[in-house]
Formats: sequence, C-alpha cells, structure tokens
Amino acid sequence: MRQLGLGLAMAAAGLAMALQTARADEELPIGVIAAQSGSFVSAGNTIVGAANLAAQQINDAGGIKVGDKTYKIKLYIRDNRTDVNVTIAAARELVNDIGVKAIWGTETHDFSVSMAKITGPAKVLQFSGNSSLGAVLDDKAVAEDGWLHYTFQSEPQEWQRSGSTAKGVLSLLTPQLKSPPKHSVVFVGNDATGQYLSSHYVKALEAEGQKVDLVQYPPDTTDFSPLLTRIKGMKPDIVHFWYNGDSTLTAFPQALKLGVAPSYFLFGVDPGIYRERSLKADVPVTMSCVPVCWGSSPYPEVKQYFDKYFGLGAAKGPQSSVSLLYYDYFFWYAKALEKVGKIDDPDAVVAELLKSDYKGVVSPVPLVFNKHHQVTFATEVCMVEPNTSDKFKCAVEQPPAAPPPGDNGG
Amino acid sequence: MPMTDNSAGKTGAATEGVRARDRLALLTADNAAVPLPAGVQAITAILLAVLLIALPWLGLGYRFLSIAITTLYTAIGLYGLGLQFGQAGIMSVGHAALMGVGAYASAILSVQLGLGFWTSLPFAMALSAIVGGVIGLPTLRVGGQHYIIITFCFCALFVIVLTNGGTFTGSATGLDVGSVTPLPGINFDKLSNNYYLVLAALFLALAATYLIGNSRYGRTLRAIRENEQLARSVGINVDLHKLGVLMVSGLFAGLAGVLQLYYLRHISPTLFGAFPSLYLALMVMLGGARYLYGPLIGAVVVNFLPEVLNLDPVDSRIAYGVCLLLVILLLPGGVGAGIKNVYCAVRGGFEKQGGGTNGRA
Repeated sequence: MRQLGLGLAMAAAGLAMALQTARADEELPIGVIAAQSGSFVSAGNTIVGAANLAAQQINDAGGIKVGDKTYKIKLYIRDNRTDVNVTIAAARELVNDIGVKAIWGTETHDFSVSMAKITGPAKVLQFSGNSSLGAVLDDKAVAEDGWLHYTFQSEPQEWQRSGSTAKGVLSLLTPQLKSPPKHSVVFVGNDATGQYLSSHYVKALEAEGQKVDLVQYPPDTTDFSPLLTRIKGMKPDIVHFWYNGDSTLTAFPQALKLGVAPSYFLFGVDPGIYRERSLKADVPVTMSCVPVCWGSSPYPEVKQYFDKYFGLGAAKGPQSSVSLLYYDYFFWYAKALEKVGKIDDPDAVVAELLKSDYKGVVSPVPLVFNKHHQVTFATEVCMVEPNTSDKFKCAVEQPPAAPPPGDNGG
Repeated sequence: MPMTDNSAGKTGAATEGVRARDRLALLTADNAAVPLPAGVQAITAILLAVLLIALPWLGLGYRFLSIAITTLYTAIGLYGLGLQFGQAGIMSVGHAALMGVGAYASAILSVQLGLGFWTSLPFAMALSAIVGGVIGLPTLRVGGQHYIIITFCFCALFVIVLTNGGTFTGSATGLDVGSVTPLPGINFDKLSNNYYLVLAALFLALAATYLIGNSRYGRTLRAIRENEQLARSVGINVDLHKLGVLMVSGLFAGLAGVLQLYYLRHISPTLFGAFPSLYLALMVMLGGARYLYGPLIGAVVVNFLPEVLNLDPVDSRIAYGVCLLLVILLLPGGVGAGIKNVYCAVRGGFEKQGGGTNGRA
C-alpha cells in the first residue's frame, strides 16, 4: 500500500513536472524583418538589437502571462538584405510558414508598405518605425476592413516630430547668434523618406517665422561641394542637414570647410557619434536624435537602456537611437496580450492597443496610439559648444498641438 | 578602270550578291543556332514545364515560392533583353526602366482611372513597346557602347522624372495598387495562384522567343547582329528591324513590369534605377542571351544564389562578379551554352564508344 502511495506521489510529481515543462515551452513567435546587410544596415541593426534586448528582458522576467499560460517570446529574425523582394519573401515565410503573431520592421517606407499587404490580410500585427507611413495611415486604411488595420507606426507623426525639432533647434541656436535667425536652408536627400520628412520640416520652420529654402541632393551623393557652394550664396543663418544621418556625416565636414553658414543643425546625428568622431566646428552646431540621444541623454532610464543595448553587442552608430522606436512596443504589445487574455485574437489586441497607454523609455509621457495608429512624443535636440566635441546642452521641446499652416498633417 | 561590258558587269554584281548571301548564311549559323535533336528539346521542355508547374506542390514553403515569383517575372523581362541582345546584338543597361514604364503605366491607370490588372495590361505593354522604340531611335545612328550609354541615361532620367513627378507618379514614395482582379474561381491573392499567373506569362515569353528565334525574322535579326553592313547590302531593312526588336523587347518588359507591380502591390522609383538594370544585364550575360533557357537560368542564378549560399549583398556582388568573369573566360555563351556543350561532349563520348554512328540523322 505504501509502495502504491509512493508510486502515485511520484507519478503526480512527474505529471506536475511535465505540465511545468509544457507550460515553460509555450512560445510566442514574433518576427523581425530588418536589413542586417546592404545599404540600410545601420538602421536595420537597431531593430534587431532592440528586439533582442526586449525579448530577453521579457523572457527573463518570466514571460507574458496570457490567460492561464505563460509565453516566452521566440524571435524569428530575417535579414531583408535591403531588398524589397527578400523582404516580401521573408514576410511570407514568417506569416505563412512560421505563423508569427506580430512582426517588427522594416526600416524603410517602401518595404513596410509592401509588407503590410501581407500582414494585413493575415491579421498579423506590424510595428514599423517609418514616420512616412503617415502618408497612408488614414481613416479608410486603418478601419476594421482596411489594409493597415494591423499596422502601427511606432514613430510620431512627422509634423509633430518636425515641430518639436524645429522649436528645439531654434531655442538652442538663437542665443548663440548675433541676431535671431531668419533664413534657413533645409538640405535633404531626394528620396521617399527625404521628400516626405522635408515637406513637414519646412512648414514647421516657417511656422516658427523662418524663411526657408529647400535644396535636395540625389541619394548616394558623396561630393556635396557644388550644392553647398550654392547654399552659401543664399546666405542662410542656419543650414539644416535633414535626413539622413549617414549622408550628413559626409556632407557636414565639407560644409565646415566651405564655411557655408554661421550655424548648423544635423538631423539624426547623435552627440555620441559627434564625440567619437572628434568632430569640431567653430560655429554652434545642433543635432537631434530619433527620438532620444544615446550620447548625451539627461534621462537615467534612457542611459540605462543604452548601456544594456550596447552591452548586448550592438554597434554605436548615428542611428543607434532609432532602436527606441521598436523597444517599448514589445512591452506594450505584451501588456495588451495579457489584458486580452488570448494570443489568437488580433482584433482584440488592436482594440486594446488603441485604448491603452504605456510608459516606457522613449518618452517621459505615456505613449498613446491615436486613431491612425500613431504615437506622440518629443524629439531631443542637443547643441555642442563651438570648438569642442563633447560639451553638449540638450533641450526637449514638446510637439505642437496641431499641424502648422499648409501642413495637412498626413 | 570602269568596266565597259554591261552584261559582264551585271553578272559580276549578281555573283557578288550571291556571295554576300552565302556569307550571311554562314554568319547567322552560329553555334547557338545549331539545334539540339528534336527529342532532346522536347524532353527538356516537358521536364522544365513539369518542374515549374509542380513547384508549389513540393512543399518548399512560401519564402521559396515568393523568390520563385520574383525569378519568373524577372526572367520575362530578360527574354525581351535576350531578344534584343542575343538575336539583334543590341545591349541595354536601362532595361529595368522599360519594366518601370509598364509598371508605372499600369499603376497610374489604376490610381487615376481605376483600371485593374487585366484592363491596364495591354496599355502598359503597348506603352513600354513604344518607349522601347523611341529609345531605340538613336541605334539607327549609333551602336555598341554609345547606345549602352543612352540606355543608362534613359534609366537615370526615368528615375528623376518619377521622383519629381508629384502625386501623379507618387514621387519618391511611389504608388500602391490592389490585388490582381480575380478570374472566375481563381483568387490571385493566394500565392500559388499568383505564381501560376506569372508562370503562364513566362511560358508565353518562352514560346514567343522560340518562335521568333526559329523564324525568318529571327534569322534576319541574327544577320543584322553579325554584320549590319552586309545585311543592309542584301536588302534587309535594318532600321525597321532594329526598331521592331526593341519594341518587342519593350512588350516583354512591360509585361514583366506589370507582373512585378501586382506582386509587390507597391512600386517606387528605386526599383527601376541603374542597379536593377545592371543586374538584368548581368543575368542575361550569365545565363546566355542566345539560348532559349539562358535568360531563365540567369534569373535563377542571381535570385537564388544569395538565398542558397546565404550571401549578403556585398558578398553577392562579389560572387556575381566572379561568376561573370568565369563565364566570359570559360563559357562565352553563358551558362546555357555551357550546359549545351556538356551535353554535346557527353553525347559525343557515347557516340565514339558506340562506333560514332548512333544518334545522328
């Protein structure tokens, strides 16, 4: 009898262990599509870095408790090789072959849009950072039967970011110049993102009282001197090197040599990169990060985040801060899943994301999705003292409440 | 000294004409034109068709099928390039722009007029053909590298126009379209159905290429390719034929462009710039422009090589460069020629073993 009791106890213990193992084995498949090779690699690597860190932290904290089960995130990371055809193939594989519940990525507008045509019909959530998605995220597209119902833009609307940035740049530069700046030149790459971003930034500067000239350069330009000489002839108070950070790092030293303007703004160049490259200018230079700088952040939680991010082996690049456009949303998504209590009800998860908020690293104010699946948060702008590489002063100006005149907000 | 005997002069001119035609016949009878035995051709065609039709049933996954679709529509564009380069000897490094003309024509018709895939297709193909002919006009005066530079310029210009075309072309952001209009009982949102649609178009391209290559028209094009002056001297309207083949090439490119558009459902100018065009030229040279299956082989190699060997874009470009060098040095006619040579060598070996009389008519 005692033996039977012992046997039953052992069987029960074995069953409990088996159940425990089964519970531990529940996994939540999440896809990441990003350029880990090719020309967009510096942006693509940030998505992968953020995803790895977020998944590790969520899993280490015990996973996601959905209903009576606990799920560990299993990442399926695919390199799109900066190629739209590979992006499509990877999306098909993740959605149809693997059956992921959500996809993070990609780094470019074109790829994200093509991908959304696969994730949408399959009801797979997609978190993309491209602010240019604002051009297609409208009432019809995000409606329940719309093709972008399951797509979320993890970056603010461009008029908000542009407004926040323009205010930050002008507030830092104005005291440094002999007279308040009145004439700005926006220098931008002539591609999809550049066209979209600059159309909003020009309006934001005009709303701040600037007379603005727009000068575009062909993508992949390396010798900017002819265009910079032309800009010099316009006698601007500020030259704004708008998108993208990599091209700006090539163009900015050329501008300094030519003495194009009495002050500059470098979009997407982190103070950390400015310091590491020992860049110096004899005029005031401002720079912004997308969205918060890793090189000179005043927020302890941001510093903590980047210590962990770089601790996982991520490279320090001009676009490292972009990783924050993806990191917080893992936790927000996990929170929504826990609230819904099911992982197979994407409509309920979408509804929950739209009515909930999340306070993460990217913003001291809780994040909220608007009806077009976009968030709002400010952009950090820093200024480096002339003739130094590491003395920064930073400002965070809140985005305007409404689009400036002439900006349709899309 | 001028000849005084008129009849002797006429006879001499006639003899020269006959010699010219003989030379032309010799020139057009290149290795690629020497056909494989009909049985081998038929078996190859059947095996290839069965393989391509069975592909979605082999359980290779959606990723594989997606890349297969990319490969097939690329191959359709390459068949046009193969015709103009392989048959008529006119190389282009702006062929992606011609595909772009078709894709953008279809997308603009969809956005502006609400035309779907089937209704916009003929217009898009026709426009690509016309543009192909217009770009070809300079070939009547210049050839070789000059024409190649012109096509490159066209490609760059096309991208600039699209990028700055405002809402009409969608600027750099591009244009979006819906799904392929379904046929009764066939929904093309299903990936395998989309694959069969592109495959059907590929079969059409293959059939057209075969028919052109084996027709009087094909022989005329090869005559122009081998010796333009000689072809002109025997009365061939070289200008007309050159423009003609460029327009046919444009038709193929337009078809490929529309298929690409409805596969991606979003297009932007970067898809039709210099790099994609150079890749098309690379593919057709790798596969072999003069061989029926050459363009398909080129498309398969370039699209699947990075996938099979897990190469990043930098490694891929190095690999393509090495492959191209090897092909130029070892297989001047491309991989297609290499496969044919291997077949002929193996067959020759068997024939020697069997006394050298078997298998030949």
